[in-house]
Amino acid sequence: MRVLQLRHVSKSFVDRGRSIPVLDDITAQIPERQFVCIVGPSGCGKSTLLRIMMGLTPPTSGEVLYQDRPLDGVNLKAAMVFQSFALLPWLTVQANVELGLKARDLREEDSRKRAAFYLDKVGLDGYEEAYPTELSGGMKQRAGLARALAVEPELLFMDEPFAGLDALTSANLREEVLTLWSDQALPVNTVVMVTHIIEEAVLMADRVLVLNSHPGRLAADLEVQLPRPRNKRDEGFDALVDSIFEKIV
Amino acid sequence: MTEERSSPRWLPIVAVGAAIALAAMALGPGRALNFARGVVLSEPSFRDLPAAAGWSLLRMTASYLVSVVFAWAAGYAAATRPRAARVLLPLLDVGQSVPVLGFFPAAIYVFITVLGGGRLSLELASIFLIFTSQAWNLAFAVYEGLSTIPHETRAAADSLGVRGLLRLRTLLLPACIPALLYNSILSWANGWYFLIACEIIVTGKAEYNLPGLGSTLSRALARGDLRLAAGALAVLIAIVVVLELAVWRPLRVWSRRFRYDTQVGEEAEETALRIPDLGLPTLLRPLRRLGRGLWARIPVARINRGAAAAARAALAAWRWLRWPAGLALAAGLVLGVVSGARALAGPWPREAGQLPLALLLSFLRIAAAYVLALAWIVPATLWASDHPRGARALSMVAQVGASVPATAFFPVLVALLVNRFGGMEIISIALALTGMQWYLLFNLLGGVQRVPRDLRESLRALGLSRGAIHRQLVLPACMPSLVTGSVVAWGGTWNALILSEYVVYRGRTYEVLGIGQMLNRATFQTGNRALLFLSLTLLVVTVVEFNRLVWDRLYQAVNVRYRLGA
Repeated sequence: MRVLQLRHVSKSFVDRGRSIPVLDDITAQIPERQFVCIVGPSGCGKSTLLRIMMGLTPPTSGEVLYQDRPLDGVNLKAAMVFQSFALLPWLTVQANVELGLKARDLREEDSRKRAAFYLDKVGLDGYEEAYPTELSGGMKQRAGLARALAVEPELLFMDEPFAGLDALTSANLREEVLTLWSDQALPVNTVVMVTHIIEEAVLMADRVLVLNSHPGRLAADLEVQLPRPRNKRDEGFDALVDSIFEKIV
Repeated sequence: MTEERSSPRWLPIVAVGAAIALAAMALGPGRALNFARGVVLSEPSFRDLPAAAGWSLLRMTASYLVSVVFAWAAGYAAATRPRAARVLLPLLDVGQSVPVLGFFPAAIYVFITVLGGGRLSLELASIFLIFTSQAWNLAFAVYEGLSTIPHETRAAADSLGVRGLLRLRTLLLPACIPALLYNSILSWANGWYFLIACEIIVTGKAEYNLPGLGSTLSRALARGDLRLAAGALAVLIAIVVVLELAVWRPLRVWSRRFRYDTQVGEEAEETALRIPDLGLPTLLRPLRRLGRGLWARIPVARINRGAAAAARAALAAWRWLRWPAGLALAAGLVLGVVSGARALAGPWPREAGQLPLALLLSFLRIAAAYVLALAWIVPATLWASDHPRGARALSMVAQVGASVPATAFFPVLVALLVNRFGGMEIISIALALTGMQWYLLFNLLGGVQRVPRDLRESLRALGLSRGAIHRQLVLPACMPSLVTGSVVAWGGTWNALILSEYVVYRGRTYEVLGIGQMLNRATFQTGNRALLFLSLTLLVVTVVEFNRLVWDRLYQAVNVRYRLGA
């Protein structure tokens, strides 16, 4: 089943009277239960594409369909994880995670319970009353992940979620995201992730959308058929990385 | 003042014109004087001090609250709507730089005509004037706070479906708190300055009853009662210090939570200076619990849907009303211009010929005060740059000095200096100096503290002498702060002129030729409408143009040349 469809999506920004195209005529589908990665060089508009899918910004032309209905405004059935974690520094970890639940008018004790459940899932139990500034980068991103999961979205968007972390932390978190994604008990099973590291995409995704820049166009749409769990030393891993690399250059 | 704005060039000019025209419509010094003659004055005594303090504080609080509401509305509109920003930001800039004290007689007159000549209209006029000294930088603070919310944080709130009330409470309000609070402290100090000024002005030649610390002070000195004056001054300083310790300092510590990043050095400095919080947190805790309880009970999503519908309706209504409203505004403008022209058309008094000279003399007086202030402040800051302990002590002095309104010292200074040391000319420069120096000291100390330590150490490692380091590093690094401080200091001093060139002491009037004196004479002595209007126009135009042509350019040039780091 198709969860999300992009139909001829283009986006341009106006800068001092001139229109600058960022995305040009992108058509793609995101089926249910897939882990999709969008890769491309910096400035190719992949984050913009993710924001269009989320409904944070409308496309200049073309349309986005969610469950076969045109998307109008922010998709409340989806959630997003950000590179800069984007936690509110004046709220505790618990309050940050409950924010989306408050917006959905959940009863206070229900939202507290649910926040506790997801904080436990990402390994942050015991840090409910901490403020974001007291956490390390990896823990901040765990909180960001819990906040997104807590609204129990059907679709999870992640915008370079590991780019702000050191190598060891990001490797750990990558594994945990895959575990959470394959956990049948959790409602979220469709993930779209933006990254500029091709290895990361090949390691995690069922499918890789390759964008190239100025303006961003869909250069390739590849299935990754390597068996899970994957490893960088797997046979065929390097070949796939190289072929994606060639498509970007 | 820093960022590029694509605002229409004519907008500030139109704004200034409109303000002057409105004043012209309202200026009727004759009537304000007539009203004043009917008032029976009460002579203040020691017994009245608590009541006077209460009245002053009440006025301050009222105008501060109005300012915050205004600031929020204006700042929010400017931050969320680019088109509103293009109109609002230059207007706020003009509001900040116009010497509002000159408009006080006009304000009194407007409120008297609208509300009748009661105590209420005087109160409102003074609250309005204090408001005009507080609101602008608060509005800029809200604008700055809202527009510096990181892009991703905003997107995160949106992606979670956080809207309306919830968004206001969890995202927008907290984001404004640090800048708003910092500026509140400035505004509050500014407000005291103007409050005392208002109260002193209304006890000038034309006397009104506006009980307060400022009027007590000036009336006590006018009849030579030094003990009462000292008492009033002591009460004033006590209030300022207690408010700083019991309200602003705890709030400042609390507001640190609302920043995106915390500099380590700053934190350490503040804890070193910390004085035990005086009871405020304990007082506020039950209030906060009550607030939390209420908030939990609000069905946020439902209210948001209602609010969104209301907003849509309001927007639709505005679309219908836009043309009539614009028409009314245009009509008002035309009326203002006509009455402005009428006020100017009458036969000009002989004194009008002196206006250019008066303006020049006033300018020279400010320049003299400026040079005097720099003469002690620059060496002091350079000394402070070598002695961190000294810098901390000096910044305490600056903080206290800046928060005690210089206007309160005017009557005292006059009492001390009159008939001594060269008379009124020296007094007026000294008065200008008292208002000017703290802004400069405050800003320069801030500049010194921002000089990176490793840069200084690298120069020392190269074997540069202390003087060479001052010349090569500290002074250039302080240039942006110097210009910022100068802008504020000059702005404040233009206002101070209105008080410092014309002083009533022991029933005698002491005056020197200057633009402030002309304004005062026209308001309180001759009641000449054309002269009042002319000098007001001249003053406002000079100040606004001086800001545009000198300070703005200097600010930009200095920021390009002397910025430290990226």
